[in-house]
Amino acid sequence: MIFVAPWVLAGLATLPLLWWLLRVTPPAPRSEVFPAVRLLLGLNATEETPARTPWWLMALRLLAAGLVIVALARPVLDAGTAMAGKGPVLLVMDNGWASANDWVRRKEAAGALLDRAERAGRKAALLMTAQEGSGAPVAVSATMPVADLRARLAAMQPQPWPPERAAAADAMEAWHDHPDASVIYVPDGLTDGPDFDRFASAMRAVGPVTEVCCDLGSAALLMPPTSEADRLLAHVAQAPRVTATEVSVLARSGDGRTLARTNLTIPAGANEASGPIPLPPELRNRLTQLVLEGPPGAGSVVLLDERWRRRPVGLLSGDLASADAPFSGSIYFLKRALEPFTELREGNAATLLKRDISVLILADRPLPPGPERDALEAWVRKGGLLIRFAGPRTAESATSGTDTLLPTKLLAGDRQLGGAMSWSHPAGLAAFGAASPFAGLRIPDEITVNRQVLAEPTADLASRAWATLEDGTPLVTEMPDGAGRVVLFHVTANADWSNLPISGLFVEMLRRLVDLSVGVASTPGTATLAPVETVDGFGLLTPPPAAAVGLRADKFGSTPVSPRHPPGLYGPESGRQVLNLGAHIAVPEAAPPISGATLETVKGSARERALAPPILAFAIVLLCADMILSLALRGLLRTRISATASLLLLLAIPGAHALEASSSPATDTRLGYIVSGDTTVDGIAKSGLEGLSEYVNHRTAATLFEPDAVRPGETDLSLYPLLYWPVTADAPDLTAAQVAALNDYMSRGGIILFDTRDSGSGAGFAPGTEDALQRIGHSLNIPPLAPLNGEHVLSRSFYLLSDFPGRFTGDTVWVQRDQDRTNDSVSPVIIGGNDWAAAWAIGPEGDNPYAVLPGGQHQRILAYRFGVNLVMYALTGNYKGDQVHVPAILQRLGQ
Amino acid sequence: MTTSPTSALTAEALGARLPPLLVAADRVASTVAQGVHGRRRVGQGDSFWQFRRFVSGDPLSRIDWRQSAKSGRGAPEGWFIRESEWEAAQTVCLWSDASASMRWRSRQVPVEKRDRADLLLLSLASLLLRGGERVIMMQQGARPVTNRSGLERLAAALATAGDNSGPPPDVRLPKHGTVVLFSDFLSPLADIKTLIGRFAAEPVTGYLLQILDPAETALPYQGRVRFRGLESEGDAMIPRVESVRSAYAQRLKAHQDGIAAICAAAGFGFGVHRTDHPPETALLTVYEALAAR
Repeated sequence: MIFVAPWVLAGLATLPLLWWLLRVTPPAPRSEVFPAVRLLLGLNATEETPARTPWWLMALRLLAAGLVIVALARPVLDAGTAMAGKGPVLLVMDNGWASANDWVRRKEAAGALLDRAERAGRKAALLMTAQEGSGAPVAVSATMPVADLRARLAAMQPQPWPPERAAAADAMEAWHDHPDASVIYVPDGLTDGPDFDRFASAMRAVGPVTEVCCDLGSAALLMPPTSEADRLLAHVAQAPRVTATEVSVLARSGDGRTLARTNLTIPAGANEASGPIPLPPELRNRLTQLVLEGPPGAGSVVLLDERWRRRPVGLLSGDLASADAPFSGSIYFLKRALEPFTELREGNAATLLKRDISVLILADRPLPPGPERDALEAWVRKGGLLIRFAGPRTAESATSGTDTLLPTKLLAGDRQLGGAMSWSHPAGLAAFGAASPFAGLRIPDEITVNRQVLAEPTADLASRAWATLEDGTPLVTEMPDGAGRVVLFHVTANADWSNLPISGLFVEMLRRLVDLSVGVASTPGTATLAPVETVDGFGLLTPPPAAAVGLRADKFGSTPVSPRHPPGLYGPESGRQVLNLGAHIAVPEAAPPISGATLETVKGSARERALAPPILAFAIVLLCADMILSLALRGLLRTRISATASLLLLLAIPGAHALEASSSPATDTRLGYIVSGDTTVDGIAKSGLEGLSEYVNHRTAATLFEPDAVRPGETDLSLYPLLYWPVTADAPDLTAAQVAALNDYMSRGGIILFDTRDSGSGAGFAPGTEDALQRIGHSLNIPPLAPLNGEHVLSRSFYLLSDFPGRFTGDTVWVQRDQDRTNDSVSPVIIGGNDWAAAWAIGPEGDNPYAVLPGGQHQRILAYRFGVNLVMYALTGNYKGDQVHVPAILQRLGQ
Repeated sequence: MTTSPTSALTAEALGARLPPLLVAADRVASTVAQGVHGRRRVGQGDSFWQFRRFVSGDPLSRIDWRQSAKSGRGAPEGWFIRESEWEAAQTVCLWSDASASMRWRSRQVPVEKRDRADLLLLSLASLLLRGGERVIMMQQGARPVTNRSGLERLAAALATAGDNSGPPPDVRLPKHGTVVLFSDFLSPLADIKTLIGRFAAEPVTGYLLQILDPAETALPYQGRVRFRGLESEGDAMIPRVESVRSAYAQRLKAHQDGIAAICAAAGFGFGVHRTDHPPETALLTVYEALAAR
């Protein structure tokens, strides 16, 4: 610890004086109100010794004063050694992608070294070696006081592209005319290209170099993955290290969930490691990025686009006429197998190849020499996957030997296994080899192959066979060709030659094959794609920086990232392409320390800590305590302590909940449901009525409170305008008391909604409830019923309704026949089976937990509307009955 | 704590255990109020005073026919008229000090001096009214109260009295009335002497009850204290209160002795009440001092 202003410590000498002053000054007297003060006036004290300031109060004050003096002397903890040189300091900071990891520590280290420069009264300039997002060229800033520079440094962020060593070297060379300057270098640990030596010598030319090194982590770089049959292969690169490094690659979907995780080990001294990310294709299509676990950075994010996902598959058949015929057509089964997970295209070869396509399947289509074969061959060499199925035509043309786009030479004709005139039996499949993309697929026993085309035996035939029959003859062979591949199934794609195409295995095999192919982007190559979201230095997707411009779609494969083309998402939603940092970047190479530089570790250059602020804060706390104590000694606190304490207590009490549901149904309107005893049904009824009450409160002037569970005979039913009765199949028979209560309720204007929950579209959901309803209804005074139609008040009481769906719809709802004038023609019962409560129900998350059948938001809305009408009917009776009679009234008025 | 009409009930409850108070009065204030003090002359009252002969002009309805018949003489010289004694009520003037120094209490006691004074005043008034006396508040424009239902009015009057400090207002007092003053009487002796002299000249007699807080009698403070008065008497800075406690007690004693002497000279009674003592004792003291024996 050092003191920046040590002479202030001389002020400590004044403390004894302060002590003496405090001693001779008595404490302020307490103040008391006293009516009989007149009797005290002029009373002379017999003893003149004044009261003393208590010693502990004096100690407190002296301590506070001493702390203030010490703080003014500005003590500094962890002060480093001074730097060489006297002139300005040039802070060179690498802010490329590799510096994002440990960025805060880097800045701290730079700040700590700047502290020393500031203490020495030196000015400083800043050079960031990577270009800013604004596209401004790499240049040395103006020389300025350290305090100003620190503000600029604080605003600096790592960039998602590599530093420009050559430009930085130029900038330093242009800055040479500062005498006695020195350099602080915060490296990212990588050479970032071939110009590092020039960069280093330019730095040495400026002045003595202090380099922060050795305990900053160096970044790993995640490369774009490559697609394999059933997995993505992740690649990670980094500068070689002396120990093996463990990294984890996370595969994330668009909503940020991690769908898979792969642990990779980069061996000691190695540059790269790869590892598979096993994912089923459906999940794989959901991936939007791969992320390297650990500190965030542009280098640890790879965005995925359509190339890793959409796999257009072209189908081309030998005989176009009957290709699509059900069960016998050559591509009938192929289409059904591929449709669920690929985009299928049909047409002739020229049409198909006009657009980008991942896989082309030829079903028994021979390829004689000609433009078609040349086009296909070129396409395969560029990376296409050609899958061919054999068949009579292929077998025929094999004799000519002109079809070269085959993995293996075929023998003329085909081989028949089994059959009426044959001794042999149809052959089954042998287990797939480990090298085959089909490895691990289970082979059903019933698959048999009756006929096949035979490959001409060659030395490497076995290594090219991905699937063989039990007797070893190849069934699926492959041949790499350029960047692409040709795969041949030695059977037909329909069930003529084998029953493989009608097995589940066929689908799995095709899926694996399609996954092997390279994805495509569906944008024409000449379109310019504008950046939509770009990756910033910390690997987050942000709006593109100022300098970012669009990029031609066909240039994505060859453009390295730069401020003009930052890594990120480009183009419209339909044809999005990504530009990744790892796609076109040299393998990271560790940079050597600058020769002749003073090396500082980050820990060693820990930020100097000024102790003055905490000491001053403590002194202020002490002085506050002194003030409170003085007030207490003068008796001024006594009356206020209780008030303050109670105030603090009040503040401490969290706000009491004001909304407390009134427990009495007599004071507020609420709906009720009759407890069935089945907890599920009762739960649905409760949440259904809750949902309905909420809807009614929201839409109408009625205010309903939380619904109640009601037990007839026990609960006073007269307080509920409407009862919902979900009838269960095992509903117990009603007791006499219950019957009396319910009949009384109905005769006095109450309404019961019986719900058997099994009618219309929901028939069979709750068997037996009809019978239960009949059993219950026998004992109740159910009036004669009629179907509820659009003329009834219930269909007009709030909304105009013509049908009355709940969770189910389509069944008749029954109400009292309109003949009884008691109760103003209000029906005491409404009977239906649409499971209304389930439609009204609202789950704890505020969603509707039960789907409506047949479905649609409209049905749900109608269900709620029926509920509102029901509540209005229960609350207002036949008030809206007039509306039913409007035509009649109008007619009468007209006369 | 303001005096509200409800405290009339409290006050009545306080005086409930004492018999109605009939003020000892050699001479009764000359009012027309009906009371229990016989004036030994003809007037309105319930007690028989004398028969006198019928004089022409007396209304016939006032003739006591029974007495006339007993006389055995003819009309009109044998006719007698029954006359009753003039029975008047004594008028008692009550005053409680509403100055700022009365609105104070020390930390040891829960009641302010003024609240205690008001309570005692109302209890006394209740006792007096039960005894048939007239009670009047010593306020400008106050109306006398003669029956127990007026107690509420007294309480309301006390509540609205406000904080007018200083001596009792110079209202016209009925001659030969009785005055009861509740105050802390901490003003200089000369002021008190002037006040008593004013009353004695009316002439009225009465009773002074000095109500003190226990802190005012014991001075229980310690250390260096600045005492501030409530009525701009000034401040007293005492370096060590402990050392002046006995001197203060002597001064207070002298003050009280002085008041007692002044009162004795004018025929007034004087008593001291501390607010930490029960109010019943003070009420009893005043009762005994005023009651006719």
